[in-house]
Amino acid sequence: MPSTAASGVVAIGWLQLAFASGFIVVSGAVSLALGLGVTRDLWVASLRTYAQLLALGFVLRWVFRNDTPLVVLAILVVMLVAATSIILRRSPDAPAGLFGSTLLAMALTGVTITFAVTGLVVGVQPWWHAQYVIPIGGMVIGNSMSGIALALERVFADLDARHAEVLSLAALGATPWEAARPSVRTALRAGMIPGINTLAAVGIVFIPGMMAGQILAGTDPLVAAPYQIVVMLMVATADILGSVAAVLLSYPRRFSAEGVYLERGRR
Amino acid sequence: MLLEARDLSATRTTESGTHVVLDGVDLGVEAGTLTDVVGPSGSGKTTLLLALARLLPGATGVLELDGVAAERIPPQRWRRDVALLPQVPALVPGSVGDNLLLPWRLRVRSHETPPSAEVLARALADVGLADVGLERDPSRLSVGQIARVALLRVLLTRPRVLLADEPDAALDDVSAAQVTRMTEAFVAEGGAVVRVRHLRLDERADRRFRLEGGKLSEVADA
Repeated sequence: MPSTAASGVVAIGWLQLAFASGFIVVSGAVSLALGLGVTRDLWVASLRTYAQLLALGFVLRWVFRNDTPLVVLAILVVMLVAATSIILRRSPDAPAGLFGSTLLAMALTGVTITFAVTGLVVGVQPWWHAQYVIPIGGMVIGNSMSGIALALERVFADLDARHAEVLSLAALGATPWEAARPSVRTALRAGMIPGINTLAAVGIVFIPGMMAGQILAGTDPLVAAPYQIVVMLMVATADILGSVAAVLLSYPRRFSAEGVYLERGRR
Repeated sequence: MLLEARDLSATRTTESGTHVVLDGVDLGVEAGTLTDVVGPSGSGKTTLLLALARLLPGATGVLELDGVAAERIPPQRWRRDVALLPQVPALVPGSVGDNLLLPWRLRVRSHETPPSAEVLARALADVGLADVGLERDPSRLSVGQIARVALLRVLLTRPRVLLADEPDAALDDVSAAQVTRMTEAFVAEGGAVVRVRHLRLDERADRRFRLEGGKLSEVADA
């Protein structure tokens, strides 16, 4: 039987975890029977979920007990570096050497917005309190990562698709910005639309994770809702500003010093 | 000399290694002249035009416009005066009119007054595109019409040198003749044209060159 923790939360034991795993075993068996070729990936991903979230639980427990600005900052840096690596892996067409500019874009928007939420909106005391900064920072960085990855992937794919138009524009005297602007616009729209759709659907199509977690932990839904509104708006802002910063900092690397688009074979 | 290139060299790197495409090419172009460069496919004709337009990263050599070294002229200003018409010219989404006015939406011509709708309509009519009109969606144009709109877009900016990459290749006879007339009219008004073609020498050209093995050699007779 599940036990009830002191906070009123129903704690899940190893037996319940094993029972939940049964569902993924069923999914794996179906995948195997249909020959979908993803069974191994499903097992590995499920095992990673176990390992990563339990490890996160241990790390956060340690962090909350050793709550110092340096520890919080170190955790945010690890999140940003990991998010940047994932973004660049998802953008195979992106030129090399984008790690610094993408990390900068993520850091500027992610860290600024995280501390704006915790310090100015929630009014956390002290301002670096790990229990607030790390979960909110994780949501802001993690969610904006998808939009930034999509925008970066799209800008370089679109520039390649428009290479003849880009050459024609450059031949007419266009600057790299003038030649790349349609691709930048396409990429930023692509990066923003999922976030806008999420804002429109939240509360009707799905209950977001943070609000669901707070409700499960016994929080009054009318207390949980404003928290979620703040987080959703901040995530959308980080997504939009992060995408803008990442794309604007990265697209010039596809142009030479003389403003020439570097087509495939000339990179 | 209006446009001068000295010792122009460029390489191309492929899976099989690095190949010399331009090997110390010298070329001088005077105002009011038509220069033809011919050569087989892959001989570097397009590369030569890209280098002259300063659109070829990694090209080396000396380029001068009116005796002024290229290094002293910003690349966008250079391309305003030395305009390339790519082999596959691309029109941007919008209308034919949008495309003809596109050069004046660029910073390099922001201080210049764009041609009026009347001027554009007359220019279209002059090149046999009166029936196309300024409002037509470029995606509904034929290959020959696209080629003429793209050439007109460049010529309306009144460049000093036009670098035309196979301007009449893959065009029907009517469109090809129209493109040739437009090019010759530009030369007659004092413009200089460097035109590359596959293997067809034109006796009307003032100077004719052959590009082969990265070397440019002048042809005495067509």
